[in-house]
Amino acid sequence: MDLIQFQAVGKDYDNQTALRDITLSVGKGEMIFITGPSGSGKTTLLKLVYLAEKPDRGAILIGDVEMETLREAQIPLLRRTIGVVFQDFRLLDNKNVFENIAIALRIRGISEKEVKTKVFDTLKMVNLRHKADAYPRALSGGEQQRVVISRAIVADPTVLLADEPTGNLDPGTAEGVMRIFKEINARGTTVLIATHNRELYRNTGRRVFTLDSGSLVGEVRG
Amino acid sequence: MSLPYGATLALQSLRREKWINLISVLTIASALLIISIAVFVVYNIDAATRSLPERFSMVLYLDDDIQKDRVDGIISTLRRNSAVRSVRYIPKDEALRELKAVLKNSTYVFEGLDENPLPDTLELKLRKEAVGPEAARKLSDEALRIKGVREVDYGEKFLATLHSLRTGAKTVGIVLIVILSTGIVFVCYSTVKILFYRRKDEIETFKLLGATRAFIRAPFLIEGGAIGLAGGLIGLIGIFAFYYAVLLRLSVSMPVFKAVLFPSGLFLFLPGVGIFLGVTGAAVALGRLRY
Repeated sequence: MDLIQFQAVGKDYDNQTALRDITLSVGKGEMIFITGPSGSGKTTLLKLVYLAEKPDRGAILIGDVEMETLREAQIPLLRRTIGVVFQDFRLLDNKNVFENIAIALRIRGISEKEVKTKVFDTLKMVNLRHKADAYPRALSGGEQQRVVISRAIVADPTVLLADEPTGNLDPGTAEGVMRIFKEINARGTTVLIATHNRELYRNTGRRVFTLDSGSLVGEVRG
Repeated sequence: MSLPYGATLALQSLRREKWINLISVLTIASALLIISIAVFVVYNIDAATRSLPERFSMVLYLDDDIQKDRVDGIISTLRRNSAVRSVRYIPKDEALRELKAVLKNSTYVFEGLDENPLPDTLELKLRKEAVGPEAARKLSDEALRIKGVREVDYGEKFLATLHSLRTGAKTVGIVLIVILSTGIVFVCYSTVKILFYRRKDEIETFKLLGATRAFIRAPFLIEGGAIGLAGGLIGLIGIFAFYYAVLLRLSVSMPVFKAVLFPSGLFLFLPGVGIFLGVTGAAVALGRLRY
């Protein structure tokens, strides 16, 4: 069963085509990779899924809901089903690690007691429990990345989007991050990872979509 | 529920942006202090003139040698009038006696008087709502139409002046309140707008994580209310200090200030108005911002 469908989707920025006629689908519980060089449209494709951008052409469906038909008030509800690992992290500098992760739950109106349990469980999963009181600027790149992942998964999303999740990480840390994604996927979460790091999808057996200059130029098994 | 966490975010922002917030609070406090002085003045003018209706009376001079049954007729006609609270008949002899008692140190005035020059009179006390230039004039005209009533005296100019004083003070007070309230709303509006732009990245992140508009708005509305409340409380301290440090000290040398009252309603009015205007300013700002 397809959870995400792109039907002839196009997106332009200032008369420049960012995505051209993209048609693809991602099954429920699947883990896929989107690859391609910088500027190929990977980030734009993910942004269309979490509605940070709207397509100029074509249609995107999540489940059987066409995104274009969503009312303004329904957008936050849809975003709550999606966890996002942003390329630029988007961590809140004035909040510590615990608060940065907890915000994803507080937005959903979850009780303080449950917030505590879930945040510490997630921090344990990414091996950062000891950093709960630290502020983002005091963390290494890899630690910040794991905080972002924790925030993305803490509310048990249906879909997890990761934009260059291993961008500036050393191979060992990148491997650790991938292990977390596989674990999340094994729990039934659909995972979309945009990356230009081939090592991430090599020999995974997962579908890999390749973008180039906004067009989908290939689909292979990793 | 977003409200308790919204309050936490508002408190954090109040602490983080203390200088912007402090300037806004002091500006609002100054405006509310001026408003409360206006309320103070209007309240005291109102209090000073409130007891006047009970003291106010209208005097009807009756025809010379009017018969007693005619006087009774006039009295019963007047008592039927809804503006009249009471009617007192003062025969000319009693009027002269009262006058002599008042002028007991100036008895030469009465020397050479062979007969009582005063007419029989009726003294009318009016109902509170009838003590005004229009109502009193209407009653005076009606009384003059009664046979046997020669002249009516009710201090027309005094009533008109009193009425103008009260209306004028109230009008100036209301105009001042409206102008300064608009100013306070604008201060809160600008403050919230600045705070919003300073937190734009944070708000964008909240949105992308699935925050509703209510979740994003709540801290700003609470912050606007808190700024207004703080302004109201400081304004209250200011008016209190003004009352005790200035008016009560002045009353030692100028006893007229002893009559000045502190409007106790200000205790709730100032913080309440502060919260209301603060939240309104924040709501207007949030309504105009795109997010």
